[in-house]
Amino acid sequence: MSKTDEPEPEDEADGGSKIEDANPLEWDEAPNNRKAPAERRTVSNREEKDDAKKIVTGEAKYAADYAREFPDLAEAEIVRSDIAHGVVTDIDTSAAEAMDDVYAVVTPDSPEVPDKPYTSAGQSYPEPSPWDLRVLRRKVRFVGDPIAAVVAEDKDTASKAARKLDVTYEEYDAVFDTAEATDPDAPQIHDADDVENHQPGADYERNIEANMSGEIGDVDAAFAEAEERDDLTVIETEWETPYQSHCVPEPHTTIAHRDEDNRYHLISSTQVPYHTRRQLSHLFDVPIRDIQVSKPRIGAGFGSKQGMITEPITMALAEAADRPVMVETTRREQFHAVRNRRPARVTLRSVVSDDGDLEALDMEAVTNSGAYGPHGMTVASAVGKKPLPLYTHTPNIRFEMTAVHTNLPIAGAFRGYGAPQGHLAVEGHMDEIAAELDLDPIELRSRNVVSEGDLDVASGILKDKEYGRRIRSCGLDDCIAEGRAAIGWDDVEQPDADHLHRACGMALTIQSSGVPGDELGAAHIKMNEDGSFILQTGAVDIGPGADTVMAQIAAEVLGVAPADVLVQPSDTDISPFDHGAYASSTTYITGQAVKKAAEDARETLFEFASRMLDEPESALTVGDESIVSEATGASVSLEEIGYESMYGDEVRAHVMGEASHCTEESPPPFGAQFVDVTVNEETGEFEIHDMVYAVDCGVALNPDLVEGQIEGAMHMSYELATGDGIDFDADGRPETLGFRDYDMPTTADQPPMTSIIVETHEPTGPFGAKSVAEIPVNGVPPALSNAVRRAVGVRIGDLPITPEKIKAALDGD
Amino acid sequence: MEIDLTLNGDDVTYETARSDTLLDVLRDNGYTGAKRGCDTGDCGFCTVIVDGEPVKSCIRPISQLDGADVETVENLGTQDDLGPVQSAFVDNAALQCGFCIPGMIMRSKVLLEETPNPDEAEIRDALSENLCRCTGYEKIIDAVQDASARMAGEADVAADGGHVPTDAACRGCDCHDGGVDE
Repeated sequence: MSKTDEPEPEDEADGGSKIEDANPLEWDEAPNNRKAPAERRTVSNREEKDDAKKIVTGEAKYAADYAREFPDLAEAEIVRSDIAHGVVTDIDTSAAEAMDDVYAVVTPDSPEVPDKPYTSAGQSYPEPSPWDLRVLRRKVRFVGDPIAAVVAEDKDTASKAARKLDVTYEEYDAVFDTAEATDPDAPQIHDADDVENHQPGADYERNIEANMSGEIGDVDAAFAEAEERDDLTVIETEWETPYQSHCVPEPHTTIAHRDEDNRYHLISSTQVPYHTRRQLSHLFDVPIRDIQVSKPRIGAGFGSKQGMITEPITMALAEAADRPVMVETTRREQFHAVRNRRPARVTLRSVVSDDGDLEALDMEAVTNSGAYGPHGMTVASAVGKKPLPLYTHTPNIRFEMTAVHTNLPIAGAFRGYGAPQGHLAVEGHMDEIAAELDLDPIELRSRNVVSEGDLDVASGILKDKEYGRRIRSCGLDDCIAEGRAAIGWDDVEQPDADHLHRACGMALTIQSSGVPGDELGAAHIKMNEDGSFILQTGAVDIGPGADTVMAQIAAEVLGVAPADVLVQPSDTDISPFDHGAYASSTTYITGQAVKKAAEDARETLFEFASRMLDEPESALTVGDESIVSEATGASVSLEEIGYESMYGDEVRAHVMGEASHCTEESPPPFGAQFVDVTVNEETGEFEIHDMVYAVDCGVALNPDLVEGQIEGAMHMSYELATGDGIDFDADGRPETLGFRDYDMPTTADQPPMTSIIVETHEPTGPFGAKSVAEIPVNGVPPALSNAVRRAVGVRIGDLPITPEKIKAALDGD
Repeated sequence: MEIDLTLNGDDVTYETARSDTLLDVLRDNGYTGAKRGCDTGDCGFCTVIVDGEPVKSCIRPISQLDGADVETVENLGTQDDLGPVQSAFVDNAALQCGFCIPGMIMRSKVLLEETPNPDEAEIRDALSENLCRCTGYEKIIDAVQDASARMAGEADVAADGGHVPTDAACRGCDCHDGGVDE
């Protein structure tokens, strides 16, 4: 590879070796963590999801299904701003309050409603999001801002009363585009003095929530050199993505009440029970110990329930009405008043040699936070730092991100967390390089991509200290080979009709497994007399089957069937602490805590078995529901130990285990997305024949559940690539009000999908596992855009990819 | 107003508000298997069977249903004795969060009663008014095909709803030790 002529400064060289030394390839892996397939009892089996039977009988209980347990339950309607920017100068509540069966009408002035800034982002403490929200708002910043709420005997009454509120506004100019919002003359959405916990680079006079940049090497020098040399090419591309709705099946729902101990109890559809408890405590100035957050079955989250959205207003209304209250959001609220994937504009410039060696990558992302800042800094950062590690060997990399406010709905966390926006740019750009240099797109990637044993520095590009992440497992080569074969990359047959053109496109993908050095998971396990176990973790199963995987991990250690490990749903009164279900962390972080807790319990099993068998502990091993002496073959069943431990004559001690897990490691899963498409050059219409995704998630602890993640995420990824997103009129009013207006694929229009699991072994993960929940959402937009480019030669870089855009590009419009 | 229904085979009389939908009445009376996802008839999570037809109960006024025959997911089987559609969904891992599944199962049941051996296109067409956000529909389509086979007696139905010992249904999985599939 060509390098700049200047010698590297010595301190940088030293720094590099320090990072290498701090992240050695060697890893002190726990004994028995690596098992050959034949040695595995339950991990990597297609075990039945532990809640499957109660789901198909309709007995699984979600938050709203608990309503019947509260005979005096009241329901509420939230009153929302119908202007995009302004101030509420008056709310006349008298007509609503005069109605029968209306228990309370609350406004920002009501004593039950906290009046201090907070963030809804369910993140670690202190949250890396600005505290810019109020439970109810006097100043409104988008159509949908909550300004008041009515609580009544039932939802119908609350809705009728809400319509009787007479709201007077002073309306301000609004701004809906990020490019216009940063203009010094644009309407200012937030006053910096009203926001606490400012994030880096905040400039509220220019509607900038956060701005950060980082550089590896010397990008300007690389571009300057490219101007001088004929063998270096500069390529520039631009990309744009729209709002996307999570479309969570279960609308956000919270029931809040005071229990018989006068404590606050919330049954809530949340991905983050512990963060929610802490944030409610701070917001309401109530001791943490006086709040209990219970997570029932959850009708999926995808990041939208990593937001504390319905909990504060429900808790305030329960106080105001002095009775249990349920807030169940409507689908319309889900589309514009809850959270969405943030739109992004990304530009990417590169310097590349004639041979296809990347010399420099210069990436800039501007994201639209909407009206408030939850997850704004962190998602905008992830647009670059998630995908760039694919090409961490590029000697010169720069990334700048800007999170900008507009008077549009609030963006939040959404599966992928900025990575889909970034992957469109990075992986679309790679194909533009390949096209420009007439290189095979797969060979170009293989030439530059990260591989096992490498040190990734690009994921630390925004850190103010040098950072490296050792790649201890990487199955990208196999993902590419298997995906390539499955899609038929090498033998695409052109249709007979001259106006139809068929091609395959591809994209590489990467994510992480938890936030390094941040996530904490904990687990507690206890044995019953019959040799079964009860496992308590803070892992928040929101649908993917986390509880089942936790049971498999414990069962693998303890020699029982997964069905013999009963997993309790997370509840802040009962479960050990956990950061919650986000950042692709549950299997990797909490799973490791479960493994360690089960091993802790196993030590006590060995102590009992040693006495009962009169054998040294060193001779014992785990058998099938038993502890076995390897020396004599004698065994004692777990049931015998269970009774002995509780009622025996010699020693009585409950067999239990506990552990916590937190790590600086965050191994990336890898994957290769392929799309096979035929494009009609006369109309721009296209047909997708297959979408193949091959993933390396380490050891797939439950292949059924892994395939479920791939297929569900590919569905969302396809929607992001082709769906219209959420539309607004010229005044910022949402025009997408329900499923009818939104392009969520149905059984009839979801293209075929093929999922492939490539097994590697991640030495830092439980039984070799890495994450898989988010990564498959990254690939379809770039792979489809690349396929269209290869089929008919036009690049659609602004999502959605539509026949109209393809036709216009073909016509040269 | 009072409404008489045949609900899961039983004659019941409910006191309802005139503005109530069938979903309101079902959920108020403990039949919470049907889920509220949109209240506009667009997601299908509330699908139940009324007089033999799949119906989105969130937009069906109860006032129109006096004397109707209503079947909900609660009637199809118990966890110890699942119906064939239910066990096919379980065995094909055709569920994740589960919020859409009761409606999806009721829709599938009607399809299979009317078209016992549907091809994939017929399944995709029949299920197209029921959304699912978790699965990408792949395993749901598999489950309905499997249910069709079970109902035709072409596959052994596990009495306990567990794994079925045929390669087709198990796709090479390892039914857990000690499990008895018969």
